[in-house]
Amino acid sequence: MKNQTLRLSLILLLVAAITAGILGVINYFTAPIIAQRNLESTMESYAAVLPADSYEDVEYTGDDPTITKICKAADGSGWVFETSFSGAQGMINMVIGVSSEYKCIGISIISHSETSGLGAVAAEQSEKGEAFRNQFIGVDETAALQKNGGDIVQISGATITSNAITTEVDLCITVAKTLG
Amino acid sequence: MSIKQQFREGLFTNNPITVQQIGMCATMAITTSLFNGIGMGISVLIILTCCNVVIAAIHKIIPNEIRLAIFVVVIAGFVTMVDLILKAYIPALSKSLGVFIPLIVVNCIIIGRAEAFSQKNSIGPSFWDGIFNGLGYTMILFFMCVIREFLGKGAFGGGLIDISNGFRFTMDGTGAGIQIFNSDFGAKILTSPVGGFITLGTIIGAMQYFLKKSDDKKKRKALEAAAAAEAAPVKEVAE
Repeated sequence: MKNQTLRLSLILLLVAAITAGILGVINYFTAPIIAQRNLESTMESYAAVLPADSYEDVEYTGDDPTITKICKAADGSGWVFETSFSGAQGMINMVIGVSSEYKCIGISIISHSETSGLGAVAAEQSEKGEAFRNQFIGVDETAALQKNGGDIVQISGATITSNAITTEVDLCITVAKTLG
Repeated sequence: MSIKQQFREGLFTNNPITVQQIGMCATMAITTSLFNGIGMGISVLIILTCCNVVIAAIHKIIPNEIRLAIFVVVIAGFVTMVDLILKAYIPALSKSLGVFIPLIVVNCIIIGRAEAFSQKNSIGPSFWDGIFNGLGYTMILFFMCVIREFLGKGAFGGGLIDISNGFRFTMDGTGAGIQIFNSDFGAKILTSPVGGFITLGTIIGAMQYFLKKSDDKKKRKALEAAAAAEAAPVKEVAE
């Protein structure tokens, strides 16, 4: 009986080892490409909100879990915030540009899982999507949806998504003020 | 079973989604754009075929007690392979399918065909079984995408087709599709998961209806042929 168990375990180990070996080889070839792609897309979204020649990392000492990274433009024109917060259907990863006058200069959504036709409009390269995102250019930390007394027109049928994005923009501007 | 028979089974009479009714979870979440649907369908086709071939090749040497564990290791291996390759070479598809690519590991179609077919057959038939079941799956995904996109957003070919400079396919998911009517007039509910359920149910119903009709027609023809065969000798005797 013991031999049987040992034999079965060894066969399972062998199959798993071969599979892991093959995956290791594939990973060796694809990992650098994947890392390169991630870097490119991050840099693209930075340039979309705050064009600059280079960015320096800034240490974030606050305790807000939605801010994953802060970078400062080397020429002092402002900051770029990488954020990850809850939307309506899942996490939204968004890059927010804040100018040195503490106003938002642009937002760019990197990834999300919002509903197509509703919350997903915020990330679309369509007229509606761009119109929504452009509303945030020039706002300060008091920006709010129209239904909450502010000026931001929400995406129809996507209040939660619109509100989450507005709240995050406000948060980043507030944090930018503490960074000096 | 001939290849032609396997073709008919995989796509119609034993279609994984509409007849076997397995692996349906992803279909409802994925089919919001044609790019996602076709991308997922082809990924599943490739993984299913590879897994079928490998399992058909090793089924005689693996002990029965650990059979399922080994199947899962093989399936997970191929899914991870496809996941890494997509992340590196078609990142747009990897991003839009998101968590549904790793979920292919538990897609019932793959383990279902492994249990029902490839562990009892040789490599050749298992290969075709994978291809045709994969094609049947992709076909249903295609119909679901077309219906949901057209009625829900008034579009066709989201992410896959770009008509701004003449017709072309965009393999990186950036094509905006053909807008047939203004998306404001679409039935928005169809782009949500509820709409996915409804569309899937309707397609299963429609296919079952056509299968039954074709089945009835075959039965009727068989009966007529049998009746004609009986009537013929009687006629000869009468003359």
